Amino acid sequence: MTWDYIWDLILSIVYSQTGVPNLQVKQVLMLAVALFFIYLAVGKKFEPLLLLPIGFGIFLVNFPLAPLMGYTEHGTPELIRAFYKYGVEWEIIPCVIFLGLGAMTDFGPLIANPKTLIIGAGAQLGVFITYIGVLFFGFTLKEAASVGIIGGADGPTTIYLTAKLAPHLLGANALAAYSYMAMVPLIQPPIMKLLTTKKQRLIKMRQLREVSAREKLFFPLIATALIILLVPAVAPLMGMFMFGNFMRESGVVKRLSDTAQNALMNIVTIFLGLSVGATMMAEEFLTVKPMLIFAFGLMDFTVCTAGGILTVHIMNRFLKEKINPLIGSAGVSAVPMSARVSHNMGVKEDPSNWLLMHAMGPNLAGVIGSAAAAGMFIAMFQ
Amino acid sequence: MRMRPGGAVRSDSATAALIALIVGFAAAGPAWAVFGEDLEKPKPEFSRQGDTVSAKLIPRGKSSGILIDFQVSGGRLMDVTGVDFDSVQDDSVDSKDFRSALFRFRVEGVSPGGEITIGLKSAYFTGATELWVFNRRQAPAWMNARAKSLERGERVQELVGKVQDGGPFDSDGAADGKVELTAGPKDTFWGYALGTLFIRFFGIFLVLGLLMAGMIAAGRIFQRLERRSRSPKIPAPVLEPEAEISAVGTAGVDPETAAVVAMALHLHLSALRASADMSLEPADASSWARQGRSQIMRDRLSAYDRVGRK
Repeated sequence: MTWDYIWDLILSIVYSQTGVPNLQVKQVLMLAVALFFIYLAVGKKFEPLLLLPIGFGIFLVNFPLAPLMGYTEHGTPELIRAFYKYGVEWEIIPCVIFLGLGAMTDFGPLIANPKTLIIGAGAQLGVFITYIGVLFFGFTLKEAASVGIIGGADGPTTIYLTAKLAPHLLGANALAAYSYMAMVPLIQPPIMKLLTTKKQRLIKMRQLREVSAREKLFFPLIATALIILLVPAVAPLMGMFMFGNFMRESGVVKRLSDTAQNALMNIVTIFLGLSVGATMMAEEFLTVKPMLIFAFGLMDFTVCTAGGILTVHIMNRFLKEKINPLIGSAGVSAVPMSARVSHNMGVKEDPSNWLLMHAMGPNLAGVIGSAAAAGMFIAMFQ
Repeated sequence: MRMRPGGAVRSDSATAALIALIVGFAAAGPAWAVFGEDLEKPKPEFSRQGDTVSAKLIPRGKSSGILIDFQVSGGRLMDVTGVDFDSVQDDSVDSKDFRSALFRFRVEGVSPGGEITIGLKSAYFTGATELWVFNRRQAPAWMNARAKSLERGERVQELVGKVQDGGPFDSDGAADGKVELTAGPKDTFWGYALGTLFIRFFGIFLVLGLLMAGMIAAGRIFQRLERRSRSPKIPAPVLEPEAEISAVGTAGVDPETAAVVAMALHLHLSALRASADMSLEPADASSWARQGRSQIMRDRLSAYDRVGRK
């Protein structure tokens, strides 16, 4: 054994078994992107529950030779690839998150004022405008649909649809959706001000009627039946959402409802965040498409917000009791941030005008609306 | 994010950085043409049964496979193969319009200079689907074959076109008893994209509108039921008009007695009303109240538990 041999051996080990000499500029860039999103989550508390695991997922997979997102020589998936394959690719995690969301949701404000469902439909305008917009930029139909749904401001729906139609865009779409959801308080107020007059912002709405426990119990059954009959493709999402809500409202399975709201939701959020983050590897993410997705995502949110407000204006032409157009922006389903934004804007104009519960109606309608839009897209491509 | 006293939202450095990142991404827009990988390119697989050749493929903008059957009369269909669109690329057509691929047909046994009829049958075609032919020897190279679109039942549509041996559609250009044809069904991509977009956007209004109608109807029923269950079961006594009451009061009853009777009546009636209003739903009660209630019930049960007392 000579010194040359030992030196060659050391070099061979360093090159083939350590990451340092294999680190590329692209990966360093992605590590910086990861740290930026981790900073937003930790330092700025922007959607930390998702941006933190997503950011850490990006951080993890952008180190060279890390056995996380590949397959072993026996064909078994490596750690995060397994989370991704069985959680996201099999479309399980988004549906389980919808179960938890359903168990957390009080549909009272929507049941008390069903008219707000129309606002939730109007707020899907951006989804379709963006769909057309990205087609001009050379996206395929399926890719365009998955980018369009970002404006629905519903993370699990975005992930579910993208995993189904354009899995290669999953990371960019999910990141854009959650980033803009965190930025709702920045994006929406200027649009709301632009599209409403002071007089309209001062409209006071009548207090919502009381909704009985029996009515809340029957709502998930009625809504499930109607929605699945009309858009069967949305059954996995809506079915889980309404099942979670039924558990909550029944009051007889408190343990199950608590688990769906807390433990189960937290567990799947960890796996979802890591898996989505891990799809953003340098060679796939640093291309033009993800950049365009971010640009169009912003436009999408803007048009959806405008769509909700314009829908209220149109509705007010026909209604005796006017609706405050500020609640229109809550039609995007970023629950409850966008409802809170509507409320804050209302209170700023008139401190005695409490819009929160009124805005929760279109906010919940937005969840149903974006899931319906996703179902329409899935059906279109079947 | 912090709020200024004036109420406007001020973006801090992180938000500004994120927005700058987005603007940067948007500025990169014109470079869109650089991603050209055609992820949706149809890849037909062919099979043959008798005179019919079938292609199974996933067309553009679909997740599930479709079937296209090819038949020829006036000659023998030797084979059908898929054609890569890049090899016949022309500015006059868009590959996206050929959602269900492009095919090359080889037909033999045609009478020289004769005519064959070619048929493409699929449930995927619509009445608006056209058959377009490519022939490099012609100018322009892409031509509408003016094929007839015929309904064949069960939503199957057949495109039937005529091709002459040695005619403008025949790629070999010779009247030699052989026909080579490069053709494919064409739909307008943008027509489909925009058409389906409007249908689906209004579809959402329809779905949520129907849900709204259902909820309004259900709400009315539930409100009526609630009102009925909360109304007192004992009919309220019919009170005399005030004038008559005062007339009664003056009919020999002293004011003290009248006051006592009135108070007794008031207590009796308000107790009835209160008991009618005590329709507290179990779901409305707090966990503390529920626990207390179950404790009381347990205590009551133990008082009646003769077996336990022994």
